[in-house]
Amino acid sequence: MPTSNVDLVLNAEKRRRAYITEAVTALRKDVETTDFATLSQIYGPWSQALERVNRHITVAQEDIDAAAAQYGKVGHCLLRTLQWPENSIEVCPQGSASTQTLIRYPDRTKFDIDAVCQVDISRVDASDPVGFFESVGDALRAFSPTAKKRCWNIAYPGERFYLEFTPSIPLSTVSDQIVEAMAPRFLPAHGYEGTALAVVDMPTKRWKTSNPKGFTRWVDETADLSLIRFETSEFASLRRIRAGVEDVPDQDVEITDTLRAAIRLFKRHRDMCVRREIIEGEFKPISVVIVTLLTRCYAGLAAANRSYAHPLLLLVELAELLPHMVAPEGEYRVDNPTVDGENFAERWNDDNDSRYRAFRTWCDVLGADLRLILQERGDQAIRAEVDRVFGTTGAADADNDNEIRPLQASAHRPPPPPPRTVGLA
Amino acid sequence: MSDQGPLNLAGLARDFPDLIPDPLYRDGGVVYRLRLPRLPGGRAFGGAELVLPPGFPDYAVAKIRLAKDAVLRIPHVEGDGTLCIAGDPGPGITDRLEDRIYWLLSAYHDKFLVRWVAGELDGDFAREPMSYWLIHVARAANRTSDPIKAVWTVDRCPLVSRLVESPLLLPGGIVVVGDAGNNAVSRRIRESLGVRGRQQMQVLVADVPITHALTPGTWPRSVEDLGHILQGRLLPDEWDRLKRPCNRRGRPLHRLVLLRNGGYGFAYLLPGGPPTHTWDKKHKRAHRPLQKPQPLNVVRLDAAWTAGRDQCPEVSARQGRHVVVFGAGALGSPIVDQLAKAGVGKIDVVDPQDLATANLGRHLLGADHVDSAKSFAVADRVNLAYPTCEVKPFYVSAQIWLREHGLSGIDAVLDLTGEPIVRSCVDHARLRNPCPLLLGWMEPFVAAAHACMLPADVAWFQGAHDPMEELNAVDWPDAVVIQEPGCSSRFQNYTAAAATHAVALVAEQAIKLIDGPESAPRVLSWVRGQQYLDDHWSNLRLRAWAEQAAAYDGLVLERTFPIE
Repeated sequence: MPTSNVDLVLNAEKRRRAYITEAVTALRKDVETTDFATLSQIYGPWSQALERVNRHITVAQEDIDAAAAQYGKVGHCLLRTLQWPENSIEVCPQGSASTQTLIRYPDRTKFDIDAVCQVDISRVDASDPVGFFESVGDALRAFSPTAKKRCWNIAYPGERFYLEFTPSIPLSTVSDQIVEAMAPRFLPAHGYEGTALAVVDMPTKRWKTSNPKGFTRWVDETADLSLIRFETSEFASLRRIRAGVEDVPDQDVEITDTLRAAIRLFKRHRDMCVRREIIEGEFKPISVVIVTLLTRCYAGLAAANRSYAHPLLLLVELAELLPHMVAPEGEYRVDNPTVDGENFAERWNDDNDSRYRAFRTWCDVLGADLRLILQERGDQAIRAEVDRVFGTTGAADADNDNEIRPLQASAHRPPPPPPRTVGLA
Repeated sequence: MSDQGPLNLAGLARDFPDLIPDPLYRDGGVVYRLRLPRLPGGRAFGGAELVLPPGFPDYAVAKIRLAKDAVLRIPHVEGDGTLCIAGDPGPGITDRLEDRIYWLLSAYHDKFLVRWVAGELDGDFAREPMSYWLIHVARAANRTSDPIKAVWTVDRCPLVSRLVESPLLLPGGIVVVGDAGNNAVSRRIRESLGVRGRQQMQVLVADVPITHALTPGTWPRSVEDLGHILQGRLLPDEWDRLKRPCNRRGRPLHRLVLLRNGGYGFAYLLPGGPPTHTWDKKHKRAHRPLQKPQPLNVVRLDAAWTAGRDQCPEVSARQGRHVVVFGAGALGSPIVDQLAKAGVGKIDVVDPQDLATANLGRHLLGADHVDSAKSFAVADRVNLAYPTCEVKPFYVSAQIWLREHGLSGIDAVLDLTGEPIVRSCVDHARLRNPCPLLLGWMEPFVAAAHACMLPADVAWFQGAHDPMEELNAVDWPDAVVIQEPGCSSRFQNYTAAAATHAVALVAEQAIKLIDGPESAPRVLSWVRGQQYLDDHWSNLRLRAWAEQAAAYDGLVLERTFPIE
């Protein structure tokens, strides 16, 4: 029986060291107020600096649009090639693209848009999952897809994104016989049955339960819980459904949407820790683990009736509790809340603690870095430290038009000098 | 020079209004300041200027220099603030100085400013991380008091982190990492350093493999930062030992953190080592211990880099090869040098002769080794020059060496003596221990040179017949080969330059033979053309098989062995 969110949080609260909270409390000095405007003034320089990071790591809308256009094309190609009717498949985003926690990598390499392609059971021979997986790959041949464990990867040379396309069928339409044959046989969690899918697990050549829509719904519903006492701006999720192909949600998230902001900032910090060689890329905590732990923590805080006077305080709370959301004793577990029995931290249990240690090291450094940021004073110093920690040197301010244009053609411009060859010597 | 400096700025001012036309005379050159556009907060820097250095325009190029705050914060900026962009092509391209400045200012604006502000240069620190690291190291260095000046690595980067003890060579201040359990390489390095490596002490090194190139934005800044990296990478007992660094006598040890991968290396000396003393004339001065980690330059001496620049996967296997070279003469001595440069790990060099002054014009060695045993002198020189190769000298004839050692464990034999008795003994030894063989020799004037490669199971002698003479390219009159007074050995004058062709031919084939796999027996010959022969002796003719080279300056020809 998985531990409830509130129990996890209460246990984490017992284990925590309040060293970041101390730093944030020190900013208030002797000011005893819960007034949001006053607190915003006190915490402004730090929350604005983090807001700037949050904005900087957002994948540009034009890149999202370009990816979304391709993703629609892939769905339509599938329909056309397999000669299926319009309503026989549904393509929707999954992973960070659907939870609005998509961020760009520090080195500006490609971002991935995960999409799940849900196919009407009548079009599939459910007794042959591998055949189904491969038929989707064949249909996508024009895109030169590469098979991965559960999805087809489509690279787009010259673009800033790639697609990961997961073929699936609705779990509710699968026969009991097939469900019996699934290994391991995870069932959708209570309340998430309607969105559960069966995807093909190529290493075992069997169906496996997945629930990307349910997971997104869980994150969305949790993020909508209000933990800020004097929230001034409301976050409204923008989801548009169109002809079976669901658009990628807008990735603009404000820091007042604290759960998503925390997920995005912490994921960026994780990526920077890999760049800084603090943790090894092979063992870094994967995104779904970070999303799950933070969302459970947020949900647990809400269930325990905690509330915070400012998003910065909640952000710090999440960072401080995060390392304790995984019990260090016994089997490491990060349960998928939408699929009973699925443990996102399965691999932590057979790697000599490498992943758990990487997780703890990352959490420690996250805490230490936030503390350093909170100990800085003055806009310039805060900004410099934030830039160091999150690798955002040069991130734009909200009100700054940064563009400098190349020189215009001029009548005075001399023709370029002839090229010169450098000889090896 | 006018009040406006050496340039007519009127034309430039139209297209570059940010160029302030008031010249400043500084350091023997002229400087014009450049106004900066409004830059976003994280991208602002203190200033920029156009610099016409002393020697401009005839012997120096104009450059752009940024304020010091740009160094290590903006890519492509050197330690003194100079912006590293191609702009002024230098003298000889145009008579108009203003054109050169126009090109430079255009490059500054379009290739630097526009791209910097757009964030397009942000990833460029990672493209040449060592350049920036060297600036960082130079800024932190104190030549007199630093106990460690550099780290030299002699092996490939480990796959998992490890804690090792490594020698610190004094007074050079060089730590040699990667020679654990086999100090042969560090011994050769110590010898090559001479007085700089006279003493040694042990230091503790956390040798950590990394994946990403570290850049100014990701360099660890503090002991805490390094601690975060090490805590996750070292085993708990290694981490504990690094935190309490003492030798067996309880004295403090220097501690290094080495972060490296196949291409890059970054090292830090941690605070808390033994005190450092220097001599200031007659007084011994103690220096304050480090307060924060000191960055150190990491120099790679592993064969994959020195021999192959990481682009030659064969080097790794060559490091495990053991080759014997008979003859350390005009052909053998540079071949030993070439094999060491190519990454061969172990070479036995066998030669019973001393170096004579007559050898100097075409030998690897110089006058400083006259009357020295060639084998020992070649070994000394190559061992000092290439620490990843161990050359062992034998001051005996090939026959004696073969009698005492045989060819067991030898991966390839190179007979570069030209001596029939050596060929005979080598073939005999190969009957017991089959081993690939390369025979290399030159003809007079180096009019031809030959490399005959034989797999382990093919003998040189065809029955009792020695095929060398018939493999030659020219029928040589007796008068060509002069008898050296008082000596039974034959010699014939040729230039070192001509011999270099032979060295190149034989060295390339020797390396192929060492790399394997063995191919069919064959002879490769470098044959000079008729004009070359005529320039050296009258009425020389190429043999029929070599005639195709006659029209050329030289040609490489391949034949099967034995020839038909």
